[in-house]
Amino acid sequence: MKTEIDKGDAIAGILFILAGLFFAYQSLGMELGTSLRMGPGYFPLVLAGVLILLGITVMVKAVRNEAEPIGPLAIRGILLILPAPIFFGLTVRGLGFVASLFLTALIAAFASRKMKPHYAVLLAVLVTIFSTLVFSYALGLPFQRFGPWLRF
Amino acid sequence: MTYLRLAGVSVGALLAANAALAQGYPERQITMVVPFAAGGPTDTVARLVAEKMGTELGTQIIIENLGGAGGTLGAAQVAEAEADGYTVLLHHIGMATSETLYRNLAYDTLNAFEYVGLVTEVPMTVLARKDFEPADMASFVEYVKANGDSLTLANAGIGAASHLCGMLLMQALEVPLVTVPYKGTGPAMTDLLGGQVDIMCDQTTNTTKQIQGGTVKAYAVTTPERLELFPDLPTVAEAGIPEAEVSIWHGIYTPKGTPAEVNEALSASLQKALADPAIVQAFADLGTTPSPAEDATPAALKEKLETEIARWKPVIEAAGVYAD
Amino acid sequence: MEFLSNLALGFATATSVANLGFCLIGVILGTLVGVLPGIGATATIAMLLPITFQLEPVSSLIMLAGIYYGAQYGGSTTAILINMPGESSSAVTAIDGYQLARKGKAGTALAVAALGSFFAGSVATFLVAIFAPPLTVVALKFGAAEYFSLMVLGLVSSVALAHGSILKALAMVVLGLLLGLVGTDIYSGTPRFIMGIREYADGLNFVAVAVGVFGIAEILRNLESEQTREVMKTSVRNLWPSREDFRRMIAPMLRGTALGSALGILPGGGAILASFASYTVEKRMSKTPQEFGRGAIEGVAGPESANNAGAQTSFIPLLTLGIPANPVMALMVGAMIIQGIVPGPNVATEQPALFWGIIASMWIGNLMLIVLNLPLIGLWVKLLTVPYYVLFPIIMAFCSIGVYSVRSNVYDLYAVAAFGLLGYVMLKLRCEPAPLLLGFVLGPLLEENLRRAMILSRGDPATFVSRPISAGLLLLSLVVLVVVFLPQVRKKRDEVFVEDN
Repeated sequence: MKTEIDKGDAIAGILFILAGLFFAYQSLGMELGTSLRMGPGYFPLVLAGVLILLGITVMVKAVRNEAEPIGPLAIRGILLILPAPIFFGLTVRGLGFVASLFLTALIAAFASRKMKPHYAVLLAVLVTIFSTLVFSYALGLPFQRFGPWLRF
Repeated sequence: MTYLRLAGVSVGALLAANAALAQGYPERQITMVVPFAAGGPTDTVARLVAEKMGTELGTQIIIENLGGAGGTLGAAQVAEAEADGYTVLLHHIGMATSETLYRNLAYDTLNAFEYVGLVTEVPMTVLARKDFEPADMASFVEYVKANGDSLTLANAGIGAASHLCGMLLMQALEVPLVTVPYKGTGPAMTDLLGGQVDIMCDQTTNTTKQIQGGTVKAYAVTTPERLELFPDLPTVAEAGIPEAEVSIWHGIYTPKGTPAEVNEALSASLQKALADPAIVQAFADLGTTPSPAEDATPAALKEKLETEIARWKPVIEAAGVYAD
Repeated sequence: MEFLSNLALGFATATSVANLGFCLIGVILGTLVGVLPGIGATATIAMLLPITFQLEPVSSLIMLAGIYYGAQYGGSTTAILINMPGESSSAVTAIDGYQLARKGKAGTALAVAALGSFFAGSVATFLVAIFAPPLTVVALKFGAAEYFSLMVLGLVSSVALAHGSILKALAMVVLGLLLGLVGTDIYSGTPRFIMGIREYADGLNFVAVAVGVFGIAEILRNLESEQTREVMKTSVRNLWPSREDFRRMIAPMLRGTALGSALGILPGGGAILASFASYTVEKRMSKTPQEFGRGAIEGVAGPESANNAGAQTSFIPLLTLGIPANPVMALMVGAMIIQGIVPGPNVATEQPALFWGIIASMWIGNLMLIVLNLPLIGLWVKLLTVPYYVLFPIIMAFCSIGVYSVRSNVYDLYAVAAFGLLGYVMLKLRCEPAPLLLGFVLGPLLEENLRRAMILSRGDPATFVSRPISAGLLLLSLVVLVVVFLPQVRKKRDEVFVEDN
């Protein structure tokens, strides 16, 4: 009988412990109060303690007979999908809704290897036209269509 | 504009845009930032006046709800906005109190804005659960003074109208009540209706219908004079605690550097809107009245903000509560 | 028989040609906007609210209510099709609904959701009509101690949301609770865990968290292999639930309706628990609990019914007390005030046509939705045949708009990215997102009510057991705990036994 370490569980355990430590450390910087009159740090400190304990248990249990592989990571996806909403947030006020949304959709479109560049541009244009018509014109949401960065 | 046409904008919208370009300010739609969530009392006030002001100015005023951190996020956003008159802020008394409540505010309240005018001053009412013992305001004062630390006082969170009024009430009566904060007026009012807490002080916007429905007991109003709406309710001054006088005043601001003519134009449209019978009626339903024309001016708002900042500083510091 | 004449007045009001028209427009608009990924009921209503201002008060509110149900239907549709819940309630639907869709049974899942919602909506509407005033009395009996105990019950039950390791599910709940506490502490004004970012002072945005851990994580998972989704292969044939599916959905629908109706009347988070609670109950009652999380019909029928019943009964506090039970209801209040109707305890007597008209229109709206949505199912399922690499840039664009439109806070968009990454990492580590989301919702309620109860009782913890409703709920939590963990303990023993051999 061989013993292996389940990497997934081990990493999960470590992450829970780290998260617990972060919240515990932050909570200690606040007033704790008493059980009767709890301060802002009391409840989160208790929870953080529980999270650390659970994390340790998950880690201990990672040592067992069979381990499941973690599998491939979507690196390209992480690099292109996650920045899309961030980019939208950074530029929606400056570039305005139209340009910002177009670029957001364009960035996200390149997350897949199957997407050809000219289709990506076409798709982004269509999404932008649709959204501008629906959200900005029809629903009248308070978005600036063209922001100050585009004015001369 | 080529791109716009590509985007398939309707001919009507283009014509409208061109027509507006011909005149001076305003050339395009104005955004009114409300630093609170949609559906709340401040949002309601804003939507009511924005529509009429827009009509007066010949443009559309759209509301942008930019809530968070007691209204300071929205105010900060407007402070940084372009001073061209197309971004305005409608804020309430919190504009003055956050100067003290928040010790590291992102803007300098007195130097970051220009003024348009006061909109309305919403009165507040002193309430208790419906089976609260005292029969009138005089015995209320006596009873609360005698039983202070065993009574509970609800508020809708730090910086909320009910929190400000509660602080004043406790300082005026010189008793520390057990303060019970809630996240918003809704849950606080629910617990008052259910008799879970004893006392609350809140704007007529939230309390009028409950008082009329007999689900809570009203004791006093916090205005200098009695209200037409509740002629039987004494003022706090009549009850011997004029220090507890307070109203939730709302004002409209623009970013620092906005041309004076623009502020004047906005102010003129505000005065017209406030004189509109439909607005007067809508405000009356909420238990308040529009500010008179002489208060809906830049000078009156500036003075109000300055005196109110000075007034609340010691009150908040004495209570020792900060929102940061 | 007074309620019959009231209801007659309501139907007379609601069935005027104009009002029927506005109800239909509301329902259609709500569905169409709500079905856009990442745009849930709250965002939809906030967007469509101004449209209703120009109408008569009754028509405006009927249309708004229609938008609300429509958005809920739409939200469930995206939850099932692309694992993108825009609201806490549809988060539960996503768990099994999306798995059904992956198995090619998207049509079945959508039909079950629609039928369950319609049934629950109809029953709950009549509950509102008949029992609104007495139910209000019950709601007012719920103080801080009762809410705390209710949240404890919800928390204990949440373990059943997991279909893998219970230990990791517990850790996810606790992590969720902690994330829920991010923001300004309402008792002291202390900012907590916001790392100096004032934009998070009011807490992390639920939609951002939900879209991140469910939707974005799923997109990333799909990008791993870049294969066409399994959905396409079998889908179009299974549009309608089979006889067997119908048989399986009846009991969950009934239980979900009961749970949702009961919890929906509690202003202050009761309705949030309804769909989670229903899922737990169904998993416990099922003879095949192992199917849950892998595409169980019951896991869609129960929570969807609970969710819709709760949506109806959450109108009770608004209509009888004038107090909004959730952000959507707060928007309704705003709309009423702008129409010159200040909601309060007397709305029913002062404005009987309005009050009963809205109630009648609730049922009519639900009827329209089912008529509208059943034929649309075919269309929605066809959407899944669109290649995934075309679909997800569209999804990313819409959810950016949706998240931003809720409160114009760009930091909510950054949170989407952060929680997308967290969700994906957790997915790789086989930790499930649903318990995290439940914890996130319950965290602030749990702490708030615990501290409030202690303040109100002057620091006496006995308040939780001396108040009968609270004591009952705690006792129920204990029972659930025993029921949930006993089979686990037994299973563990069996495993040990096997290994020793």
